[in-house]
Amino acid sequence: MGFVITTLSFVAIGIIACLCARVCCNKGPSANLFHLTLVITATICCWMMWAIVYLAQMNPLIVPILSEEE
Amino acid sequence: MANHGGGGGCCPPMDLFRSEPMQLVQIIIPIESAHLTASYLGDIGLIQFKDLNAEKSPFQRTYAAQIKRCGEMARKLRYFKDQMSKAGFTPSVLTETKGDISLDDLEVKLGDLEAELIEINSNSEKLERGYNELVEYKLVLQKAGEFFKSAQTSAVAQHREAASDQAPEESLETPLLTNQESKSDQGKQVKLGFLAGLVPKAKALAFERILFRATRGNVFLEQAALDEAVVDPSSGEKVEKNVFLVFFSGERAKSKILKICEAFGANRYPFVEDLVKQEQSITEVSGKISEIKTTIDAGLLHRGNLLQTIGEQYEPWSLLVRREKSIYHTLNMLSIDVTKKCLVAEGWSPIYATEQIQDALEQATIDSNSQVGAIFQVLHTKEMPPTFFRTNKFTDSFQTIVDAYGVAKYQEANPGVFTVVTFPFLFAVMFGDWGHGICLLLATLYLIVKEKKFSSQKLGDIMEMTFGGRYVILLMSLFSIYTGLIYNEFFSVPFELFSPSAYVCRDAACSEATTIGLIKGRDTYPFGVDPAWHGSRSELPFLNSLKMKMSILLGVTQMNLGIIMSFFNALYFGNAVNIWFQFIPQMIFLNGLFGYLSLLIIVKWCTGSQADLYHVMIYMFLGPTDDLGENQLFPNQKTVQITLLLLALIAVPWMLLPKPFILKAQHNRRHQGVSYTPLEGEDESLQVEANHDSHDHEEFEFSEVFVHQLIHTIEFVLGAVSNTASYLRLWALSLAHSELSTVFYEKVLLLAWGYNNVIILIIGLIVFIFATVGVLLVMETLSAFLHALRLHWVEFQNKFYEGDGYKFHPFSFALLRDDDE
Repeated sequence: MGFVITTLSFVAIGIIACLCARVCCNKGPSANLFHLTLVITATICCWMMWAIVYLAQMNPLIVPILSEEE
Repeated sequence: MANHGGGGGCCPPMDLFRSEPMQLVQIIIPIESAHLTASYLGDIGLIQFKDLNAEKSPFQRTYAAQIKRCGEMARKLRYFKDQMSKAGFTPSVLTETKGDISLDDLEVKLGDLEAELIEINSNSEKLERGYNELVEYKLVLQKAGEFFKSAQTSAVAQHREAASDQAPEESLETPLLTNQESKSDQGKQVKLGFLAGLVPKAKALAFERILFRATRGNVFLEQAALDEAVVDPSSGEKVEKNVFLVFFSGERAKSKILKICEAFGANRYPFVEDLVKQEQSITEVSGKISEIKTTIDAGLLHRGNLLQTIGEQYEPWSLLVRREKSIYHTLNMLSIDVTKKCLVAEGWSPIYATEQIQDALEQATIDSNSQVGAIFQVLHTKEMPPTFFRTNKFTDSFQTIVDAYGVAKYQEANPGVFTVVTFPFLFAVMFGDWGHGICLLLATLYLIVKEKKFSSQKLGDIMEMTFGGRYVILLMSLFSIYTGLIYNEFFSVPFELFSPSAYVCRDAACSEATTIGLIKGRDTYPFGVDPAWHGSRSELPFLNSLKMKMSILLGVTQMNLGIIMSFFNALYFGNAVNIWFQFIPQMIFLNGLFGYLSLLIIVKWCTGSQADLYHVMIYMFLGPTDDLGENQLFPNQKTVQITLLLLALIAVPWMLLPKPFILKAQHNRRHQGVSYTPLEGEDESLQVEANHDSHDHEEFEFSEVFVHQLIHTIEFVLGAVSNTASYLRLWALSLAHSELSTVFYEKVLLLAWGYNNVIILIIGLIVFIFATVGVLLVMETLSAFLHALRLHWVEFQNKFYEGDGYKFHPFSFALLRDDDE
């Protein structure tokens, strides 16, 4: 469930970021669309990175074997 | 495809996605307002003029004389700048005084100043030379005088010795050098002459030797070295010299010695042996020296003042000359009408600038008191317009990165839009360390805060590039901080920032921690890589597997994005063939194989299965009907695999075969009724030679098109494998970065810490800092930058980008400064 919740929070952050971009730099429809594209792309990239690392650790096939000196 | 500005109805317009729509405009300007019009258009800076006089040589053009004048003035300004830098002045920074100096006035002024400066310079040169000669003369007088004095004293001593023998017929006052008739018994008349002068110390020995040889040893040379170097009058440099005095007998010897002196560049000075006269000469020379010195100083002061006044005005003058030169260059590109009453200009300009241009033309007409206004009309042409993106200082650097590979074709989809985010992101994947990210962030914030100051300065090459890319580096550092948190590396040290580690000991005593390992007891570490992995023995197998799979996933995503961009291009240009017979089979092929691989990766992660993905993928091709056994990840996997394989196999001929035939059919259909062409209309008074190339595909070589499509298909199919593998560099570089970081931390910092000695700690810290900055922050940054660039230019852009356009380069005064400097 941690996966779904965090994904939803990424979506929420993305939406907030879009709104912020719209509020602070409103320079016409084509510029807005450009800013929107940038924010969405950034959100997707960040989410993908996190999701990949999270999924890889959900059901690990190998475990940490500590080195001799501890 | 001669279809500019096609559809666009599919999606709303987005800034920077496609280049600005351009139009070919024709402006007819009356001659009297030509100069002013060009000046105003240059201020706006939104027209790229076409050269209508391309066949003419520079001397045949209308305004060649004006350009020559400007060139002369530029030369004079360069001369002034040279003189100023030699005298150590710097021209003052450009103050916005729009002094309305006309070009003619400036020309006259520059001429006067140059003449004055040249005169001052030649006068001071003459004075300097005279001064140096006098200085040398004085030195000769002094040294030779000393020599004569010492000789006289020794002669006095000798004389005293011999006084007992001889009657004092001769007094000391008799000159030393007389006809020695009285002394010698034979009536041989020996007249001793002498020469005095200065010879460079380096050549002194050779001088002596040659004198000796030339006169067969019949000279006497006395040399005395000078303590300090004197300035040689002819060369103007300081040279170490010796004063010499050479005594000879006979005319022939004299002429030989004179010639030798000339050859060696030895300066001779007149010298009389009379002591009184010597004193007189010395005082005379000293007086002259001080006179000349004052004159020289006055001259230098005058010159200094002159250069100062020039320096204050230098920047505005220089800018004015450059402006005028560019205006006349532009005017030279316009074709002059036969009746010599007006100029015709053709150029590309963005459609949105139409009003601005028309306003400028009106203004110029009013200001030049011309009866006739300029005429502005739009021409229709099939030529490809230049590409113009309206960037701001933020997007400019990203657009430069894209343009470095190739300028976008007119109105094709601009990869720059996505590059703004994906480029720093891929950099960060290879750089991931939030400590290093913070260092980069601080560095670039400094550049951004001091933006105003740096942009007006003249920076070195490397600094210029770094400053130009400051926003790129800003994004790179922000994303690096993010990926650093994900990889959990702060100068290679992990932290338990979000929750305790997911891995716990199997039993209370942790006995098997080093043999079998820990066990996943708690929930997955919520954000990033679990800190328990760092330093463990199985860290590398885990991280390698993670990063390789991550690279494949990111790569497949970016390549899909590239293919989708090609879909948007095809939609915009109304190219249905490309959609059905290129986009769709490409998507099927790539996703059927590598998209499927990505799916398998995700399923394996979600289910925790032990399937061997290499085996699955390879045997999907080698033995599709074999039973999967323990490599089964989901039910009916075999059927799915066989289907995908078949689809991929069909996709290849789908990409290859239909398109050439369809293009041929289209071409035939278009040129069915081409036998009759309408005659050209002759109504316009000013017939413009519409020499616009007709890209009408009159020749359609089927074999050429087919081979082109074959190459495209092979490139895509093989590229699908090689490009996907190419993304593994994301894994490779991030591994290298983390390993280097670990080594520097453990083997330098921890080692120094272990000694418990402050000095060793400080040395260790310094070495650590230098290593981190030099290797990780500079070298790794450049390396990751380069590889991210490569991934964009090749793997992403070859899916859709043509990049064979040309950049819009308007006639603009604002760009003048960047051009010339």
